[in-house]
Amino acid sequence: MKNRIQCLLAATAFTFCASVSATGLATCDSGPRSGWQTIEKLEKQLSERGWTVRRVKEDGGCYEVYAIDDKGQRVEAYFHPVTLAPVPTKSR
Amino acid sequence: MAWVRVWPKWQRLLHAGLALTMIAALVTYEGGRLHELAGYAALALVLLRLALGFVGPMQARFTAFARAPMVTWDYARALWQGCEARYLNHNPLGAWMVVLLLSLGAGAAVTGAIYVTNRFWGEAWLIAAHALLAWPLGLLIPLHVAGVIHASRRHCENLVGAMWWHGCKRDESPDAQGKRRA
Repeated sequence: MKNRIQCLLAATAFTFCASVSATGLATCDSGPRSGWQTIEKLEKQLSERGWTVRRVKEDGGCYEVYAIDDKGQRVEAYFHPVTLAPVPTKSR
Repeated sequence: MAWVRVWPKWQRLLHAGLALTMIAALVTYEGGRLHELAGYAALALVLLRLALGFVGPMQARFTAFARAPMVTWDYARALWQGCEARYLNHNPLGAWMVVLLLSLGAGAAVTGAIYVTNRFWGEAWLIAAHALLAWPLGLLIPLHVAGVIHASRRHCENLVGAMWWHGCKRDESPDAQGKRRA
């Protein structure tokens, strides 16, 4: 009985681990951090386009931006830290 | 053999809806349109089930199947030793699993719904709370299924069929035994 319960618990843990392999929506080949432009510069560039930037964090070597764009839409966008160019994300 | 309808159709449909919407939301964890739709649907179903847990039909109320902590602990020990009792309604561990799944589902759906408003979009603490409430479901749902499989084998019955299909379980109460003999 204990064996069977242990087997079921192990199968459960495996299912969980297999399902948790979190990845971001994009990756950037952005090199050493010393070559990156600052978050402030990216925020300035975006606010000039009419975006309201809520949060910037790093994900997969990119800057990941949560913002409300100039049309009032919620956006989650990726930018290359060296060029500050938009990075296409996986469609979802 | 006497059979008793334990899960009426509304409860089986609600269970199927909860299972499908929660799993859909987990699978699409990166967000997007489908994740949000699954989340809103799950929110509506969870709130409905929670409400019925207090004011619904007697057998579906939390008071009908939730047991005191000590009773649950004794059941868990009996389970470990392979001599746990059979329950027609949820067993004590299954009952707490129901409560846990519904509570986490409600919490995850509410925080998610607030997060995708323009006012709260990008709030780090809110998305952290959402993840903290939602990810345990990825562990608890497989554990719930494992518990169902275990109980099915222990008592030689098909609990998956009872909850997803016909809604019936074997009635082993003395009353039913008497009727069978008569």
